[in-house]
Formats: sequence, structure tokens, C-alpha cells
Amino acid sequence: MRIVSWALASLIDAGLAVGVATLLCGLAGIGDDNADAFAFGVVGAACTALTAVARRRVAPPARPTAGRVFAGIGLLWTVLVLFGAAVYAGTGSLGRLDDALVESAAGFSTSAVTLLDAAEASRTVVLFRSATGWVGGLIAILIAVVTMPVVLRSTALIGYTTGRRGQDLVPNASTGIRRVLILYSGFTAACVAAYLLSGLGPTDALVVGLGTASTGGFTGRVDSLAGYGGGTHAVAAVGMLVAGAGIFVIWWIVRGRVSPLWRSQELRVFVLLLAVATAAIAIHRDIGWGEAGFMAVSMMSTTGFAVADWTGWGESAAVVLLVAAGIGTMLGSPGGGMKVMRARLLMGSAGGELRRQLDPYALILVRRDGETLTRRTLDRLGGHQVAFVVLVGSGAMLLGISGVSLLGSVWGAVSAVSTVGPAMGEIGAYGRLEGLGRPGRLALVPLMMGGRMSIPPLLAGVGLVLRWYRVAVRQSRFQSRLADRRHARSESGNDDG
Amino acid sequence: MYRFPIPSAVGLGQGPHWRKFRSTTLHVTGISLAAVSAGLLACTLLEALTTGRDTIALAVSTVLAGIAGGVLWYLTRPGAISKRKVFATVGWTWILTTLVGAVPYLLAGTFAHGGSGFVEQAVNSVFESASGFSCTGSTVLADFEAPGLGLMMYRQLTQWYGGMGVVVLAVAVLPFLGVGGLELISAEAPGTSSDRLTPRVSETARRLWIVYLGFTALAAAALFMADGFSSVYDAVAHALSVASTGGFSPHPASIGHFGSVAVETVAIVFMILGGASFSLHWRAVATRTLPHYRNSEFRMYLFLLVMCSAAVIALMWLKAGLPLGPSIRAGVFNAVSLGTSTGLSNATGAGSLGDYVTWGAGAQFVLLFLMVVGGCTGSTAGGIKVMRMQVLGVLMVRSIRQAQTPRAVIPVRLGRDVIGEGVVSRVAGFFLLHFLLVIGGLLVITALGGELETSLGAVVSALGNMGPALGEAGPTADFAAPFSLPARLALALLMIVGRLEILPILLAVVPHVYRARALARVVRH
Repeated sequence: MRIVSWALASLIDAGLAVGVATLLCGLAGIGDDNADAFAFGVVGAACTALTAVARRRVAPPARPTAGRVFAGIGLLWTVLVLFGAAVYAGTGSLGRLDDALVESAAGFSTSAVTLLDAAEASRTVVLFRSATGWVGGLIAILIAVVTMPVVLRSTALIGYTTGRRGQDLVPNASTGIRRVLILYSGFTAACVAAYLLSGLGPTDALVVGLGTASTGGFTGRVDSLAGYGGGTHAVAAVGMLVAGAGIFVIWWIVRGRVSPLWRSQELRVFVLLLAVATAAIAIHRDIGWGEAGFMAVSMMSTTGFAVADWTGWGESAAVVLLVAAGIGTMLGSPGGGMKVMRARLLMGSAGGELRRQLDPYALILVRRDGETLTRRTLDRLGGHQVAFVVLVGSGAMLLGISGVSLLGSVWGAVSAVSTVGPAMGEIGAYGRLEGLGRPGRLALVPLMMGGRMSIPPLLAGVGLVLRWYRVAVRQSRFQSRLADRRHARSESGNDDG
Repeated sequence: MYRFPIPSAVGLGQGPHWRKFRSTTLHVTGISLAAVSAGLLACTLLEALTTGRDTIALAVSTVLAGIAGGVLWYLTRPGAISKRKVFATVGWTWILTTLVGAVPYLLAGTFAHGGSGFVEQAVNSVFESASGFSCTGSTVLADFEAPGLGLMMYRQLTQWYGGMGVVVLAVAVLPFLGVGGLELISAEAPGTSSDRLTPRVSETARRLWIVYLGFTALAAAALFMADGFSSVYDAVAHALSVASTGGFSPHPASIGHFGSVAVETVAIVFMILGGASFSLHWRAVATRTLPHYRNSEFRMYLFLLVMCSAAVIALMWLKAGLPLGPSIRAGVFNAVSLGTSTGLSNATGAGSLGDYVTWGAGAQFVLLFLMVVGGCTGSTAGGIKVMRMQVLGVLMVRSIRQAQTPRAVIPVRLGRDVIGEGVVSRVAGFFLLHFLLVIGGLLVITALGGELETSLGAVVSALGNMGPALGEAGPTADFAAPFSLPARLALALLMIVGRLEILPILLAVVPHVYRARALARVVRH
């Protein structure tokens, strides 16, 4: 007898990936800190074995409902973060549970903020931190590219990949998962190899490579990539660009297809925005084009690598980077942010509204890669935008209340929701969380997770919880009424007797 | 009627006969300048009778504004106004009126301190004028003692003109065009047609003027009594400020100058009423009932003010460790002042309890939220407006429900009424434009040398017509020190853009407006 549940099935698959990653981290750490290596190895092996057994007992439903899938996604991320926190706290890598929770959330949400002290942390722990980011990136891509369009068979949620290019890469769920896994792993391997060639050691190359491919941005060093040479910076910049461009661009590159690359409006806008951001930073201030371009790519791909302390570059450069981080990556990327396509469509929608004021009877069409979007879809996009602003606003308020400065709160909220990490103010250019108080660090957790889940699953999760609550209240009322009636009947029966 | 000989060769006339130049924009600007000239005349008399320092400057300004207004009004005639031209008319009228309104400051040398040149004086004058007419209340005035009483009263009067102008624009003119405020009101309030008060727009405008005038007089009387019958001038000056939700004060310490709880309480009451719909006020007067409580927007507006005041007080008391009593006084006043987009302050000086930039980030975020939301539709207040925020909230809730059931058809409701999809998408579009303008404004102001936190506050404040901002441009500071001259000009433009609710200014500069085009067409993005 198999249990049919989408949430459980996806949780077990993710658990298997995390288990294998933990086991490999334990194995890789042998010879550095054997106690850590043993602990991680045991946890990883147990997790792998448990999920492998459970996988035989659980199956996903053929046609899951949207609400269940979204709730399952919320559950999946929550369990992963709790698992990571338990590993950090259980193995003694981070002494306090709240610190472990923050580190785990930062890892799985691919945010480049950390509490780990690279000088003290063992190789196993550093690799595990990188691996959580890599797994987080993989799950984010699979949700965006496979789950939403294929499992839900819905084009309702703009921002997830549908249409021709989606079917090209993901004709069905199993093929899609396999292809994404191969492409993502291959891209990671290419990044690691390039870093090795640029002169990094094997562990550093692996850590930075995982951080590049997943847009996690974790390097295991207190100064991010500032201490490395120009070659490493160049590799990182190219890697971030490709990672931010997403899995479809990697697919086109691997298949040698030039025409989709040229035709993609989203890619053109992405590159154009990067160029504008680079120019805006470099022209206005006396900053080198290389550094400006690197930081623009880093922020827009939501990776969070830094080659210099950009918080001292001036106010306008900071705003440009903030906007770049807010817009984020292309669809199908492990990065976060509002997404380039959504930003472009919102601009088109705003332009359309302006035109409608002039010509109320005009038929205004907003198109995406040749497809005309319905009014309904655009309205949902509006709702999505409002939710994004509300999430950032409430996050900033939460950070402000928890004692972070005004500037640090605004920047921190945008950065956390976009899964970047580094921010102006207390967090700083290198994403060190020591400058934040404990309430501030904990306030980052829901923001990073909210940004990682992306808005629709987050909204649906909230909606589902509300619906469950409503059903529970209704049931309890019904039960109490039933009990009252029974009580009244029994009393009247006693009276008759 | 005698017609001026305007040569057709330059395109101003047609054929052999002399005709008036057809331009609705210049005609409306002419009327507007004539009205400003009347106000200037009163201020000139006041100046001549009191301090007498700026009498000549005010007199010359009166004559200039009168001549300019009269000439424009006489030489032009309004044409058949198309929907597209209306935006251009409104936008350019405000810009031209603001520019002419800067002349008295320039002639009086109000900003001629510290060896500032003509350009700096001109920019400061335009900034002050824009801040006044847009009811923002931000200032670059450093020395409040230098200008005479008449000029300071003119400064107060500009915001009063601006407040009424916008009320008429929002409730009388724009709904006539099918844009903005009234459609939102009509989507919610029972008896939608009555929000225009009468079938005739001009009659509606006249009635609103009456309400506005009465409201201002009532505020002046109440402030005069609360201040212990000490100064009619101060009472009138601050009544002009609270009725228009402008925020200018003839004193550098604003309301804090009085140091009186009674004055602050009266100001709070009138600021709240100023931030509510004037249509509701008219109905209250006409029907002798209180329709406010049946209006969901007003209820939400009060709810937000109460909740945010409580949050600010709690954060001041518990987080910043300030004493409870003074925290209540300062918290409520500043929350109401910013929530109604007035911008008056009860801070007695930098670092005093009313100076909200010292309250910590949490309390400042609550105030920032209020600054973004603003007052009710159909009021003199700025901001996005409570009704729009309600629609956006419902839109978000619908997104939640549609994420669970993607094929469900879920209408957007406010109270018992269903909001049309057109209104919903217009509101979403407006919110998006507002958001983009904040981002764009922030980029521009920081590129022009503004500090990030101060610039963010200033942009939000300018677009929402608040007045004081955050950081170095807080309630006890002026805008001269933290911002360069180009940044001040950009902020002045943002104030007018915010006051006209974005569309008129944006559309006024779109070339498409001035071209004849077929109505039905396909626009591809």
C-alpha cells in the first residue's frame, strides 16, 4: 500500500538529495576534522537510507491540486531549513539553535549571508553550507521549470516557464527532472573546473563553484572573493551571468542553438539592464568598469559575491545595486528577485495603463515571447507585485523593530527577499551577520524563506493555512452545536421520562 | 468684443479676421493666475499694514500675476477639450502657476542669504512655490524672521489654493473625464452619482469651495480659541495649513512653537477631517447626518491612524525607552500629521521628543507607511490614498485565492460592492507607476548627491505631499542643506507629480497627447 501525497513525495526526494550531499560532505572532510566528518557522514547516511526506503512507500498523485502543491512547497522548504538547523546545532558547528536556523535558512535560500567563521569551521561544515545552497538552487529550478508548468499544467502563474521553450526542455516531468539535474550538475562541474584552472585549491574551487552555480554566493571567507585574483573574478562573473540567465540559456548553449538566444526578449532585457547598471555605477563614480560590472552581475544574479567593499561606493551606486537586486534573474534561474520577465511585463502593463488613459477604447495587448497575455494574467501579476512590495515592506518594518537601522532594514529586506544576502548597513558588503543583533538575524529567516519560496507558493501557503483554520473553526462550531443539541435532547428525554 | 490683432502668419489666428487664440491650457492658467493675484493683493495689504518689508515685492508680484492672468484669460478661449488634452491642460496649468507663484519670493529676496546667486534663489523660490501649491510643506527657508508677515501669509495661501485646486481636480474634474478619485469613491460608496454632489461639475466645484472655506474658517476659529485668543494671524495661517493638509507654518518650530496641548489637539482633529473626503463633509452639512461612518474608506482611514499611532507610541515607549505621556502626545500628533499628509510638527527643536528621526527605525517605518498611504480620495491629502490601498489589499487576497484555485472567477469586493476590473487594473497601474517613480526619484536624487536615507524619505515625502522627510531632512530641518540645486528642482517636480496623482504630468509630456489619432488601435509592448 503506497501513500499518495505530493508533499511527502517531494519532501522525500529533496531529503534524498540533502542526505547524499551531507554524506559526501562527511566523506570529503575526512582528514581535516574527523569528528565533524564522522558526524556529517552518519547523519547523511541515515537520511539517505531513510528517504530511500520511504521513497518506495510514497507516490505523488497523478494530478495534484494547485493549493496542495503550493502548501507542499512551503512544507518542503520549512523541513529542509529545520533539518539544516538541526545538523548545524547537533554537530556543534554553531552553538546556538537560532544561529543554526539562520545559517540553514541562508544556505537553502541561496543567500550569501553567514555566521560561520571560516577560520574555525572545518572543511566538512564549509562544504555542507555550500551544498545546502546548491540543493536549494536545484529545488528552486525544479519548482519553476517542472513543478509549476508540468505538474500543475497551468499557465496562470506568470513567471513560471510555459509555452514552447518550456516544452522543449521539459516535455514531461521525468525527462525534465533528468535534464535539469544533468545541466545543473554539468554547469557546476564546469564552474569548479574553471576555478581550479584560475588557481584556486580543490576545496575553495568546490565551495565557490557550488556558490556560483546555485547563486548562493557563499565562499567560506570573510572577504568573499576580494582576496582572489583577476582570473577567479572573471570566472565568477561569467558563471554568475550564466546562472542568472537560467537553465534555459544553459540548455540552448549546450544544444548549440543560437537563434533562441537572439530571440529571447528576456535575455536581451537582462543583458541590457546589466549594461545600464554597470554604466550607471562606473560613470557616476570613479569606480573601475570591471568592479562595477562584477557587482552589477553579482547583485542582478542575486549571488552576492563581492570583490570590494561596495557599500562605500556612494549612494547612487548603492541604489543601482539595490534596484538590480530587486529585479533579479531570468526565469529558470536558481536566483531570486522579482524576475526580469515580470519586471518587463509590469513595465508594459504600466505603459498600457497610461495609454488607456488617453484612448479608453484602445485594445492594449501585452505580449511575452510572442504570446498575448490575458487581462486575468496581468491582474495576477499586479497582485504578485503588491505581495512582493508588502513582503519587502513588512520585512523592513520587522528588521526596523528588531533594532536594525533604517537604511539597513530597507536594504536588508530587499536583499533577503531577493535571496542576495549582502546589504548596506549592519550586514555589509560581505554578508557577515555578526553586526546584526539576534532579533535582526531571526527576522531575516522568514524573509529569506519567503523570497526563496517565491510569492505564489507563499501566498497559497498562507491561503491554505487560513482555509484550514476556517474549516477547523467551522468544524469545532458544528461539533459544539451538535453536542448542545444532544445535550438538549437528552435533557428533554429525561424530562419526559 | 474687441479682438486683438494676432497675425495668422504665426499660426495664432485663422483667416483675415482677428480671433482669440484657442488654448484651454493658457485660458485655465489665466484664471488660475488671476485667483493667485487676488490672494497676493490681500497679502500685499497685510504686509503694508504690518511689517512692510516686502510690500513692493508683493505689489509688483500682484500686478505681474494679475496682468499675466488677465492677458492669458482675455486673449485665449477654451477649445473643445478632448480626453487627451485635459491631462496636458491640468499638468501645464500647475507648472505655469507654480513658476509664477515663485516670483514673490524672488522679488523679495527671500532666499538671498549667505551670498546666494540668482540661480540658487530662483531654484529655492520654485521649490518653495511648488511645495506650497502642491500642499507638501517641505521648505528651504532657513531664516523665518526675514520675510514679512504678508509674504509668510502668501506662503500659507499657496497651499490653500493648492488644496482646493486638487479637491476640485479629484472630485469634480477628473471623474468627469472618467479618471481617478470619483470612480474609486463611486465603486464603494452608496449612491455613486451623489459624489459629484450635483449633476453640474461647476456647481459641484462651487459647493466644495463653500465647504472648504467654511472648514478653514472653523479651523481658524478653533485654533484661535485653543491658543488663548492670542494671535489671529497665527490662527489663520495654521488654519490654511491644516485645511489644505499643507504643512507650512510661519514658525520654524511649526506647531511646536505654541507648546500647547490644546492647539495640537485642535490641529489633530482638523488634520483628520482635512484628510477625509470633502464630498462626505458636504453631505454631512447638507443632510445634517454623519455619512462618514457608513463610508468604508473613512473607517479604514481612522483605523489606520489609530493603529499606527498606537504602534508608534508602543515603539517609542517600549523600544526607545521614552516616557509614556510625552510619547503619546508626540506619537499621535506626528502619526496624524504624516498620515493625513499635512506634515506639521510638534518638535521644539532638533533632538526634541517630537523630532521623529530620533525615534528608531521601527517607529519611522510606521510613519513611512502612513506617508505612503496618505488620506482619503476626494480630500486635500496626498499619498496613494486609502481607497486604493484597500483595492490593492483585496487584489492581493484574490491572488491568494486564485493561487489555490486558478480557474475560479473571483470578483474584487469592497464592502458589499463589486469593483469593476477596469478600476482594479487602473489602481494596480497607479500603484506600479507610484512605485516606479519612487525608484526613479531615488536614483535621480542620489545621483545628484543626496544621502540614501534622506533621499528615500524625501522622494516618498514629495510624491505623497507630506513635507518633512527622514534623516537630514526631518521635521526640524530644511531641504536646503541635504540636497543640491538640481535635486531640489527634481523634488519640486515630484511634488507636483504627486499632487496631480502622476498621470497629468506624465501624460502632459507625452508627444502622443498632441497628435490626432484614431481611438481604437492596438498597442504592442
